[in-house]
Amino acid sequence: MGKNVWDMLLGFFAWCCAILLAGSMILIIGFLILKGYKAISLELIFANTSPLDALLFKQQVFGGLFPAMVGTFFLILLSMGFALPLGLASGIFLAEYAPGSIKKIFSLCFDILAGVPSIVIGLFGFSITILLHHSFNSQIFPCLLISALSLAFLVLPYIIKTTQVALESIPLLIRLTAPSLGATKLENIFLVLLPASISDITSGIVLAIGRCAEDTAVIMLTGVVAVAGIPKSIFSGFEALPFYIYYIASEYSDQSELMKGYGAAIILLLICSGLFGISHWGKNRLTAKTRFNY
Amino acid sequence: MQHREHIAGIIFWGATVLSAGVTLAVLVFMVILSLPIIKNDMILEVLMGPWSPDYGLFGILPMIVGTLCIALLSLVFSFPVSLGCSIFIEIIRPGKPGRFLKKFVRLMTAVPTVIYGFVGVFLLVPHVRGFVSHGSGMCILSASLMLGLVISPTMILFFSQSFARVPKTYLNAVDALGGTQFQKFIYLLFPQAWPGILTGIILAFGRAMGDTLIALMISGNSVMLPTSPLDSARTLTAHIAMIIAADFGSIEFKTIFLCGGILYLLTSFGILLARFSAGKQN
Amino acid sequence: MFMITAGICSASELDSFTGEKGVLRISGGTAHIPVMKEASRKIMIFNPGIQITIAGGGSGVGIKQVGEGLVNIGNSGRQATESEVSRYGLVIYKWAIDGVAAVVNTGNPVKQLSGKQLQDIFAGTILNWKALGGEDRGINVYTRDESSGTRAVFWKKALNKGIISGKANFIVSNGAMKSAISNDPYGIGYVSVGYIDKTVHPVRVDNVTPDLDTVKNGEYKVVRGLYSNTRGDASGLTKKFIDYLLSPAGQEIAVQKGFIPVN
Repeated sequence: MGKNVWDMLLGFFAWCCAILLAGSMILIIGFLILKGYKAISLELIFANTSPLDALLFKQQVFGGLFPAMVGTFFLILLSMGFALPLGLASGIFLAEYAPGSIKKIFSLCFDILAGVPSIVIGLFGFSITILLHHSFNSQIFPCLLISALSLAFLVLPYIIKTTQVALESIPLLIRLTAPSLGATKLENIFLVLLPASISDITSGIVLAIGRCAEDTAVIMLTGVVAVAGIPKSIFSGFEALPFYIYYIASEYSDQSELMKGYGAAIILLLICSGLFGISHWGKNRLTAKTRFNY
Repeated sequence: MQHREHIAGIIFWGATVLSAGVTLAVLVFMVILSLPIIKNDMILEVLMGPWSPDYGLFGILPMIVGTLCIALLSLVFSFPVSLGCSIFIEIIRPGKPGRFLKKFVRLMTAVPTVIYGFVGVFLLVPHVRGFVSHGSGMCILSASLMLGLVISPTMILFFSQSFARVPKTYLNAVDALGGTQFQKFIYLLFPQAWPGILTGIILAFGRAMGDTLIALMISGNSVMLPTSPLDSARTLTAHIAMIIAADFGSIEFKTIFLCGGILYLLTSFGILLARFSAGKQN
Repeated sequence: MFMITAGICSASELDSFTGEKGVLRISGGTAHIPVMKEASRKIMIFNPGIQITIAGGGSGVGIKQVGEGLVNIGNSGRQATESEVSRYGLVIYKWAIDGVAAVVNTGNPVKQLSGKQLQDIFAGTILNWKALGGEDRGINVYTRDESSGTRAVFWKKALNKGIISGKANFIVSNGAMKSAISNDPYGIGYVSVGYIDKTVHPVRVDNVTPDLDTVKNGEYKVVRGLYSNTRGDASGLTKKFIDYLLSPAGQEIAVQKGFIPVN
């Protein structure tokens, strides 16, 4: 059982791949940070407006990232508002109510939805806008609402899957305790099962939030614009951080704008890795709390 | 009490049907909005021809080829590296280094694609241009390199999972017979995990076909049928993003729904294929 | 004394926006964007109750979207065609004059061409800078998407409607074209004259250098207007915005951004 040439080659190959992958990522992130750290400042976000005025929406910010960040924030809020109830309810249905064959069909359905390219989802949102515009109310344009709705479609399968898997993995013992004491199915779901799987579900939700924050293709087709300030209503155009980065990359007019682009990229990266970190940390902490000894 | 239970059940059922309805609705919308092309008997021309709106040619063949080329090339770049990394995680150094790499790969999934595109434009493209001494650096090669990096985590995590699923008893058996690590991999792990590996490849390919930003920012977006990896090319996804601006009534505009439909069918087919192959490992 | 009156004058042009509220949606030509941004900034600072959203997309997008009622103002860098005007009932407002010039990277030794050479380059007949006295490298042609007014004008007036090679890299806006050329030592493209700055170099064609002066005095022929289109006559907030563009303050912004005022 000695180490022969082939073993060494395999090990060498594996190490090379690992180093190549890690190295490329470090190169990319490092490049970004090196080029952009100088741009990180309050001025990047708030430009000439005082931060307090901007945060209280007393004054518009021009030339800073604040409107884009607010746009992204509202996007996340709205799309989660659509996707959470729908996704949680569907996940509960699949885990608790659906018989085997029906579960398989719906599962396949949602897998397909998860696989649809984001730009096709955006195209779908755009088509809905056209439909509503022509037949319903000609005041409907691509806007915050439509973008949020389309993003909701994008992350729906992830929330459904996470909820379903989380509920299904609850041990039988816990599942049967409440009903054996006389609780109804509904009481069982809301008082026992959901709290038991809250950590997994939450981490899935946080990942979905991350997906909303970073997506560009969907919002490009459904209402994001280059300049909009703070959105005044859900029917108006808006800015968003990932689109800002794309826009700067395609058409920066001078070095200072390019630096803003680097800064925006770093901020977006921080937001997304932060969300990822929260989802992981939250999962570990909550699982520890709800560990059942039996 | 009974009543409330019943209503709740219906609500949950309704939510699920609504969600599933979205899946179907996307396809339906794509088909309905591409109907004018099918009705005018232009379907063959559009699927097979070149793109030149000035001369009334609206063929999306260059875009179909562009999508397939970039996705395939990125798979070519990514597969060996992903396989190597998953071998590292599961076989070569399954302890601390392996777990660290796995966490690192998981973190990679959090990086937004627009960041890859952004760095691609300012770091990769000039270097490719200088290295190849030809062209603008915005080509299939550049896009595939970046895209390969984007789809690697998908494959690595899938491969690792498949290797981990191989029953310990089999592994112990190989050890008992005096097999080396390499033999273990070639004769046991790889064949056993193959369905999972295939699933990972299919899913990664679907992901590569569906990416918009990297292709839009790095591949050059020319409308000619690409003949080499150093050619500029356009994908179906970038085409949709660019043509969304065109005149709504025109045939040009309608072609983007056909592109959307094709993408939907391609990725759904991939999902079905992946489901089938994943089923095989169990 | 003069400064005070000047101050009063510019304040009064914004005064028309007092008491206004609402959202103004603008989209279309990318050459117009710097002027749009500056004008809307001034207006939004003066009256925070107004929100102005600006999107790009190119002249074709502007015309189509304003025609469909998706935006209030659709900007275009080419004059809307008769069929577009009649189909949508467009009213055209011209507020600046601009040119479209071929540009190359500042490091490129080839800085002037004949009209024929320009056409051949974009058609793909001349493939190497060597043939023009430059380095031995392939020419990377950059062009705009079909919705672009800049492209339409360049194609009609500079290329005499010749073909543009399908191998060209497609760019989606004036700003993006400028970034692309400034980053590619072997590229050639075309961009609004108002956009040209130190990062790209305009190509002297048939012994005429494209810049503001030659556009103004008519020496440089590839000229176009910057238009804002509305569906039907402009009214309300839309009308005030267009009046602002045509006012001395608005025209001053156009000059600042590199264009030629109409007033």
